[in-house]
Amino acid sequence: MSARRTLRRVLSLFRRRRAEAELSEEIRSHLACAEEDALRRGLSREEARREARRLFGGIEPIKEAQRDSRGIPWLEAFLRDLRHGIAGLRRTPGFAATILAILSLGIGGTVAMFSLADAVLLRPLPFPDPDRIAGIWEAPRPGVNNATSVPEFLAWKQLGTRFEAMSAEQPVLAALNASDGPIRLPGKLVTSEYFKVFGTNTALGRTFAAEEDQPGAAPVVVLSHSAWETYFGGDRNILQHPILLDGLKYQVIGVLEPGAFDRDEVKFWRPLVFTREDRSSAIHRLTVYGRVRAGSNIAQARAQMKSIHAALLSNSLIDEDRAGTIEVKQLALMLTGDGLRRSIEIAFGAVLLVLLITCANVANLLFARGAARRPELAVRTALGAGRKRLVGQLVTESFALCAAGGAGGIAVAYALLRLAAPYLADALPFTAEVQINLHALIFAAAAVLAVTLLAGTLPALEALRGNLADALKQTSRLSSAVHIRLRRGIVIAEVALSLVLVAGALLLARSLRKLEQVDTRMRIENVTTASVHLPEQAYPSAEKAAVFYDALEEQLRATPGLKQFGLTNYLPLQWISNGEGIFVPGIEKPLFVRCKRADAGYFRTLEIPVLAGRGIGERDGQRAPRVVVINQALAARLADVAHMKDVVGKTVKLTSSDYSGAQAVFTDVQIVGIIRNERTTAPGLAEPPVVYVPLAQSPVRYFRLLVRSSAETGTVVSALRHALRAVDPNLPLADVATLEQIRRETLSGVSRPAWLIGVFALVAIVLSAVGLYGVMAYAVTQRRVEFAIRMALGAHSGDVLGHVLKSALAMVAMGLGAGMIGVFAMTRLLKSLLFEISPLDPFALGAACALTVAIGLMAGLIPARRAARIDPAVDLRNGG
Amino acid sequence: MSKPEPEFPRGTLDLLVLKCLDTMGPLHGYAIARRIEQVAGESMQLSQGSIYPALVRLEQEGWIAAEWGMSETNRKVKFYSLTKSGRKQLRVEVAKWEKATAFVARFLEASR
Repeated sequence: MSARRTLRRVLSLFRRRRAEAELSEEIRSHLACAEEDALRRGLSREEARREARRLFGGIEPIKEAQRDSRGIPWLEAFLRDLRHGIAGLRRTPGFAATILAILSLGIGGTVAMFSLADAVLLRPLPFPDPDRIAGIWEAPRPGVNNATSVPEFLAWKQLGTRFEAMSAEQPVLAALNASDGPIRLPGKLVTSEYFKVFGTNTALGRTFAAEEDQPGAAPVVVLSHSAWETYFGGDRNILQHPILLDGLKYQVIGVLEPGAFDRDEVKFWRPLVFTREDRSSAIHRLTVYGRVRAGSNIAQARAQMKSIHAALLSNSLIDEDRAGTIEVKQLALMLTGDGLRRSIEIAFGAVLLVLLITCANVANLLFARGAARRPELAVRTALGAGRKRLVGQLVTESFALCAAGGAGGIAVAYALLRLAAPYLADALPFTAEVQINLHALIFAAAAVLAVTLLAGTLPALEALRGNLADALKQTSRLSSAVHIRLRRGIVIAEVALSLVLVAGALLLARSLRKLEQVDTRMRIENVTTASVHLPEQAYPSAEKAAVFYDALEEQLRATPGLKQFGLTNYLPLQWISNGEGIFVPGIEKPLFVRCKRADAGYFRTLEIPVLAGRGIGERDGQRAPRVVVINQALAARLADVAHMKDVVGKTVKLTSSDYSGAQAVFTDVQIVGIIRNERTTAPGLAEPPVVYVPLAQSPVRYFRLLVRSSAETGTVVSALRHALRAVDPNLPLADVATLEQIRRETLSGVSRPAWLIGVFALVAIVLSAVGLYGVMAYAVTQRRVEFAIRMALGAHSGDVLGHVLKSALAMVAMGLGAGMIGVFAMTRLLKSLLFEISPLDPFALGAACALTVAIGLMAGLIPARRAARIDPAVDLRNGG
Repeated sequence: MSKPEPEFPRGTLDLLVLKCLDTMGPLHGYAIARRIEQVAGESMQLSQGSIYPALVRLEQEGWIAAEWGMSETNRKVKFYSLTKSGRKQLRVEVAKWEKATAFVARFLEASR
């Protein structure tokens, strides 16, 4: 068939009615012409009409043949079946609605999960040639990533010829004076090639020129598109006048085009300028990215960087440095770490499981419907419908259902993603844009086709299996043993799968409960926290910062209702950076510790008790002798490693960063006390050894305020803001949260999977209940006569009820058996997710079994009661 | 949905219709059927209706064009005429047909 004719055939699908009318008219005029001819030959009017018809031949076959050659027969048949199918479904709205709901849930969940996987794992990063972007860092020990020093970066950039661009960056904070007070914006200091590495263009102006990261260059800034819109109202003249960051003037030279960077928390970029001191500094503080030259690949770039690194290290004076290596890794692989990849894969697996259950259930319901329709199908076969056509029609009907379910599923997926958006933003890299796009729609279509094939074809074949004529004689009621066995198998599998999911959900819920009960070992009620950052221009030295602390504390003390407050650089329950060490007498190597700044108010506010010696006091100021307080864990470690029994009063050496962020060593530091362990990290992890340094003796730019007050959080925050403004009107108060919120956030990493699997489990158990109900209801309908005979012979309705329930429970029991095997198989997978709970926790497993049995009983009870209500007189009379 | 058996070898009717329109100019369906009957005489029994599926086929291929008009007896009828590509196709078909019949004739002759 020529292409032209194919096209016209397809087009004719849309003009069918007109073409039919035209053909009818043509045939009419043909017959009239023939009749006239015949009349002219001398026939009577009646004879002429007959003669014309005879010569023409059969009109209907001609029309049919014409229809066939005009359109696409199978497509027209499909559309006709589709109309039939939809009409049939509208006659049984309950059945259709059930299947639609099941399908929408099943397909919706899978599509949502697919969109996620697509955004994170499948789609390329939203940068030009993303495969050529790589991160570069030192790995002093396997698994340890080190930041880069300025001399190293400069050497890499000069020697790394495999890269067409290489940039270094470090985070920066800036206060912007908005109309309603100062706000804090996170930004980045970057070297001039940064945007060349990521291949990002501007909507307005330009990005950095090569000379703009050199000393003495004019202060300039590039804004993200969202920052431009949010904070500057999308002002198109923004390039004409400077903006104030931390009170200093910066010329805006460019606004980025909208895109991936709008999802990043970074709002602005400023050139990273290296001073003469920086160029010889050994501080590792830079993050380095590069774009590999076209024609080179990452592996070649890595090989080159390794040899450069080896050559540079041979000059190093520190032994430990020489042992290290360098890593060059594709950006895509860095952004989707193994953990994220694995959790997406696990979630996707769970969703596919639910889709499979969905298929099983839909198949099950279609089986029941097919069985109920056997008499109708038998009549149609008797009237001449071919078996193939009937199968086609039944499958088309399933397809109509599945397509509608797919449409519902896309709506469900959309709603799910909308609901999950705030959580996803935290959990996913900023490059991932989760949306229902063409990929997802294609995936949904594939899922619909798969469900149709899996769930629609077998029931259709089954409905037409065997001698359909028997269906008319109504003697076939006990003949579909295979069919019943298949459906039972499906229900058993459903029960097994839902047991696995319910058990998983209960285990995670119990683990979560345990985590929530973990003692934080401090009072976190009514504590509000906020952060303050001291910009370099206004607070260039540690002394200035210490003066600021004093002024702020003074101001807070004078504020009514803010009696209890503390300052620290790390909030409890979150995280403390590592890499610090203390040197104790008698031991050569340092003990690795976490180092935390705190003022006198910190321990008081959180009610952390002092176990020995004293806590940090007001007297431990700038000019006082250096002291530290340690936690129980460190005391235990010192006793263990250094055999130091009485640590209070001992003098140690401590490494930590100074005000500028450089590594510094403090000698002659006296341990003055031991405090009880507070929870410095997320619950569930062992408490690390911690050294508490008085904040005033070792000031930091970025610190946290903790305030305990019985007043409302809003009141507290505005009081805090007021106090801060009184000390320095240019400083914004940021990161406002209650400690209770912080605690819940640290648990959310655990609660989210529990919540998710809980939803899956709920869906799965509802689905398996529907499946069980379907099988039992069908069996009861089939065995009505049998039950009637039994009752006529003396069985009580209770016996019948028990009989039906027993067979339902038999299925549930088999499902439980199979499910337990699944639970055992999942043990290893779950183990890493559980806190102080065995994956075979008898309580959780027992409860999961009990729940499954209870729901199975409920699903079986309705048909069982119907069986028990059979009136033998009525049923045997109607039966046959 | 069984199709009516074709009364001619497949494609023959198409060729006859094309040739008919080539020699007679634009014709309506009944006239085409009559013309084929006249030429065929008693040698072939044609259901007049069977030309209509052929007409649809040819029109879809773009070899003939259809237009509503008035017949000689003042009836609304559809006139079919040969298009440019139809004329080309006719030449191809005729050549094909002659080749085929010549071969078959030779074959029958040789096998006699």
